[in-house]
Amino acid sequence: MRARRENLFHLLEPLLPHVEHPARYLDHEWGAVSDQDGPFHLCMVYADVYEVGQPNLGVAILYNQVNAQEGMSCERCYLPWKDMAGLMREHGVPLLSLEGAAPLASFDAIGFTLAHELIATNVLETLDLAGIALTSAERDEDDPIVLAGGPSAWNCEPLAAVFDAVLLGDGEESIVEVCSCIRDARAEGVARAELLRRLATVPGTYVPSLYDVRVDEASTRWGYAVPRAGEAAPEVVRKRCVNDFAATDAVAQRIVPYMGIVQDRLSLEVLRGCARGCRFCQAGMTYRPVRERPAAQVVSCGVEGLLSSGHNEVSLTSLSTTDHSQCEEILRGMNAELEGKGIRVSIPSQRLDSFGVDMAAAVAGGKRGGLTFAPEAGSQRLRDVINKNVTEEDLESAARNAFEAGWRRMKLYFMMGLPTETDEDVVGIARMAERVLEIGREVVGRGAKSGVSVSISVAVLVPKAFTPFQWCGQLDPDEVRRRQQLLLHEIRDRAIRVSYHDADVSLVEGALSKMGRSGFALVRRAWELGCSFDAWTSEFSFELWERAAAECGLDLADVACEEFPLSARLPWDHTSPGVSKGFLQREWLRAVEGVTTPDCTRTSCTGCGVCPALGVHNVIQGVRS
Amino acid sequence: MSGSRPQPTDARPQDLPVKAELPRLRVEYVKDSRLAFLGHLDLIATVERCIRRARLPFSVGNGFARRVRIQFTSALPVGASSTCEYFDLRLTERLDADEALALLRAATPSALEPVRAAYVPGRLPALEAWLNRSSWEVAAPGCAFDAAQIARAVEAVRERGELTYLRGQKEKRVDVAATLAGFEARDVDGGVELSVETRLAGCALRPQVLLDAATDVLGLPRVAAPRVRRVGQAHEESGRLVEPFGPFCEKDGTPLS
Repeated sequence: MRARRENLFHLLEPLLPHVEHPARYLDHEWGAVSDQDGPFHLCMVYADVYEVGQPNLGVAILYNQVNAQEGMSCERCYLPWKDMAGLMREHGVPLLSLEGAAPLASFDAIGFTLAHELIATNVLETLDLAGIALTSAERDEDDPIVLAGGPSAWNCEPLAAVFDAVLLGDGEESIVEVCSCIRDARAEGVARAELLRRLATVPGTYVPSLYDVRVDEASTRWGYAVPRAGEAAPEVVRKRCVNDFAATDAVAQRIVPYMGIVQDRLSLEVLRGCARGCRFCQAGMTYRPVRERPAAQVVSCGVEGLLSSGHNEVSLTSLSTTDHSQCEEILRGMNAELEGKGIRVSIPSQRLDSFGVDMAAAVAGGKRGGLTFAPEAGSQRLRDVINKNVTEEDLESAARNAFEAGWRRMKLYFMMGLPTETDEDVVGIARMAERVLEIGREVVGRGAKSGVSVSISVAVLVPKAFTPFQWCGQLDPDEVRRRQQLLLHEIRDRAIRVSYHDADVSLVEGALSKMGRSGFALVRRAWELGCSFDAWTSEFSFELWERAAAECGLDLADVACEEFPLSARLPWDHTSPGVSKGFLQREWLRAVEGVTTPDCTRTSCTGCGVCPALGVHNVIQGVRS
Repeated sequence: MSGSRPQPTDARPQDLPVKAELPRLRVEYVKDSRLAFLGHLDLIATVERCIRRARLPFSVGNGFARRVRIQFTSALPVGASSTCEYFDLRLTERLDADEALALLRAATPSALEPVRAAYVPGRLPALEAWLNRSSWEVAAPGCAFDAAQIARAVEAVRERGELTYLRGQKEKRVDVAATLAGFEARDVDGGVELSVETRLAGCALRPQVLLDAATDVLGLPRVAAPRVRRVGQAHEESGRLVEPFGPFCEKDGTPLS
């Protein structure tokens, strides 16, 4: 039964002196929408602590969008840290929203952002703390409608049983349509099952309960989903896409947090989508097409956003900011407007060429911290396999430029476990780091005081849905560890620091990325055994995940490392980001042959299928170099 | 591109403004309701953002991080409210103090409302060290002692000289004899109210720590959630107290008015 909507902050307040960082639970931030009259109430949930969830741009965009509607209100909720969750359970306090301190179970709808796979157990923890049934099937007639969306919705099957509906693609428009649909259906008094059927008619909305999973010889062991007999749900649910990106608000973050958060700055989304076509990158495939904001809009909205929020740093975010055709104009404009105000402009990553270094110099002003590049693989052969269209010369000239321009610390990102990877490629990572270090010493000098250093960070490839590597198995964790050791032994210079991802964490992430609907049993069991905050190194327990898997008759390595046949029907084939399966298959075959595919924003169409499927096109403001 | 534009740090040192000559605006503000739970570092960041939103002509330091030139009073314990917190802000121009206050109020959450602003001499010592006296009020509702008992217990704590307690994993040692400047207790409906006067001398004496130590002396359970409020801050010099906004006297200090 739906909980009563009431402000219960007085129940939470006595607990505040007894928890870490009570500022997580305060609300009343500058810019928060305090007027929450509804009558339709949505609560957006990021199932991690405040300081991790608050910077999320997706939540901010949807929060503004819904609050701007007449008769609709949107609040926020983050998962309390373990100390607070324990006290809340002990004192019988249910999970509350921030703005109205109302029980989550009193809302008309709840929207989860699935930012990454490891958030799965936290979704269950959130629902449990809120007193809402964990699965769609267990919910009562008037319980809140539980929605989800975000980047990890691209294989949401392991959590499909939890969600009443999943919003695929850009949510700006669809969240309002979905909320309207729920509101109207409730007003008409239709049954919950019928309400869910109606939701399936909103474009881009996937309602898992209307699909059956079939396992046959054409599928993997996880099967594939088809509309249940008698249901009119679409066979394939295509994502939503906002084509007129410039018409959306450039400043989504209007709430100014009190406490330090993980990205404590104003974020401006300068472009959406990336067509470089890196074959491991899920975002690169699922956020197409590329849509740039005009430089003038970025600069004027950025300055206004800074003045009205009081932030002292602005980040120009996107999948690849230095690819913006007007990047230089944007940075020049921002620097001119912000001079002398003690405001820092930052871009999240640098393009691996001298233009990237020039842009980094433009944002850094006179300051030189570290500079980060992502060659991703240690050899040209392997970079061609993953379609990372950069050469050894690109990296060397970028590094030389950077050292000449005053940088001393270089950070390089790589991946391990890429398809066709050999020991030679792993050793290549070490050689590349040494080469960059050598260039630095040539430019700056060899003395101990030159301060030249290189750090390399090596992640493990987790094959993701809707990428050309979706058929690949993940590298076996023992082999990951062997290659990590190989790399460590190859690094002989103390000025090179190595860090790498934990093979066990990557394995759980891989299993969650690969499983179909029946994988929910594993997520549920892991949560029951005590797994939560799995993305926190301090909290992750591989033993519990292994135990949960064993109790479900699964082996994590077996799940994550399984290869799927290229012809198989996949567990996520009934959802689509617009990129055709044929394109992904072609890209996989080209990968194996080491043939690269160009970027369609710089050459001609490469046939990914997004534009015709969704009726959209790339929107480039100038000419990309 | 970057080479063509002069950066603020390119200025010659002799051209940079001398901090002591910049107008120094002192602002009194409250810390109230749920924002009592804001930690000191979060408070500093929040006030800086309020100043930026108010579009005051603030001065920025010349260090790597380009921080706003601002000073705060000593940190309040998390959970304690206050009627009298202060910050000193260096401005690049002498804006009318009332106008600055109005701009700040419009850009600040009400729980941190600025209530007074005035210019103070630029060469006064740093605010945190200068305001070395604090007055506190502590409400202990539902406590198991009366005013006379707790006053005797506090006296016993003072006589011991030093008090040690754990804050997180760290052991803190407070010189009670040096830091406790005054104490009073009153019986009120449903509990006891305390007035505590503290002095800065090494590790700060937190009123709740004093209360806990005193209840331990009595062998009674500690008060679960005492309400602590800072109600006054002042500068103590040669036994006299100077209010935060003066009047200031360079040599002899000024008695509390």
